[in-house]
Amino acid sequence: MSASRDDFGIAFRSALLQRGAAQKFSLFSLIILACVIFFLDVYGFTFMKPVRAVINDGIYKVSLVVSSPSRFVPKATESVTSLFNIKRENEQLKRELEIYKQKELNVEFLSNQNKNLKKILESEESFLKKESMILSKVLIDKTSPYLKSIIINRGSKSGVLKGMPVLDKEYLVGRVVETNYLSSRVLLLNDLNSRIPVTFGEEGVQAILKGVGGNRPLLEYLPEDFIVEEGIDVFTSGKDGIFLPGSPIGKTMINGEVKLFSESSQLSFVKVDISNQEKENF
Amino acid sequence: MPRFKLMQKSINFGPLILLYYLSISEIDTYFENYFEILSFNIQLIIIYFWCLKRPEVFGNGHIFFAGLINDAVMGIPLGVSSISYLVTSLVATYVKNMTVNTSITTDWFTFFIAIFSSNSIFLILITNFSDIILSFTEISYNTFFTLIFFPFFWFIFNFYNSAINTGKNV
Repeated sequence: MSASRDDFGIAFRSALLQRGAAQKFSLFSLIILACVIFFLDVYGFTFMKPVRAVINDGIYKVSLVVSSPSRFVPKATESVTSLFNIKRENEQLKRELEIYKQKELNVEFLSNQNKNLKKILESEESFLKKESMILSKVLIDKTSPYLKSIIINRGSKSGVLKGMPVLDKEYLVGRVVETNYLSSRVLLLNDLNSRIPVTFGEEGVQAILKGVGGNRPLLEYLPEDFIVEEGIDVFTSGKDGIFLPGSPIGKTMINGEVKLFSESSQLSFVKVDISNQEKENF
Repeated sequence: MPRFKLMQKSINFGPLILLYYLSISEIDTYFENYFEILSFNIQLIIIYFWCLKRPEVFGNGHIFFAGLINDAVMGIPLGVSSISYLVTSLVATYVKNMTVNTSITTDWFTFFIAIFSSNSIFLILITNFSDIILSFTEISYNTFFTLIFFPFFWFIFNFYNSAINTGKNV
């Protein structure tokens, strides 16, 4: 029995401390070093913030380059597939064109009118929003079973601060949770750690939209005995003072889940609302 | 001849390159589009297999750095994945020291101990010392599927192992 214990001790010590021809560091020393780094990072010592930001920026850039082949292959496959479909699509379009030609006069008048109205609307919208929105590219959207987040190519250099809302077209997709000099991490609405105050329905029901890790976040803190109807638009309530009220998020489902307007796995470009520059909202 | 040597060297570095590539690239092993709960951790399988079969292929320092890179990409506190990977390596080294002949079944069983220890430490550190909320169920699924897929990778890596000559004369 004691010989067996001795064997265990010897083998365990050997595994921890051994340094062979290929091992420059013992496992023990590296585990201790990893623990030190972990606690320095977790307890947020002031010198760790810039260090982590530099490491993140560097690694995100390398990751972007390294991931480019994996992005290229699906795009190339898509192009080849679409090439095969072109002929069929072309014939179909020719038929449709004949139909549309017959309605041309009527459509031309309506479309011109529509274009003019859109121009007026766009000029007003851009006047209001250009200064407070910055467009950014999604660098990395590595899907994790635990965390739902993306990395964007705008950081503190562009005025991005923690807590700023991030939108895909006009739909809210998440908020900034980490800023580096040249990049930022955005926590998506469906992440377990996400909580957003929302409002919906004609009565303006208030609730908290909680990420559950899956594709559809859940409405919580609803009024007592409240039954959620399907197909009602959900908007940010702005109660937290972080998000502007009225940003559309998704539609309710019968079980209290919300089907998001924006598919988080399909994000290429997003907009960051940098209007609130006063402090980090987190 | 020098060309052959270069090729052989590249083959020897294969597992190490794969480990770094999986840690830094956007490629993930989370297949929610196909099957919502399907996710597994190839890095742990790579580390366990090669530490057990051919520790000369990559050193502990590389495991440590791959963990740090993975933490930065995933947005979790630095050092957690390093500790998790090093614990897997520790179990593999211990098993290697204690056993002479191993088969797929013994490797599979001991891998369960390694992955259980590794993921337990990962979960304990994240839930107790950081603000991140993790789903215990997701980690359990991840552990389960990593364990299930181990034999598949065992056969692939075993085949690859025969092409490597690092440490054959050690």
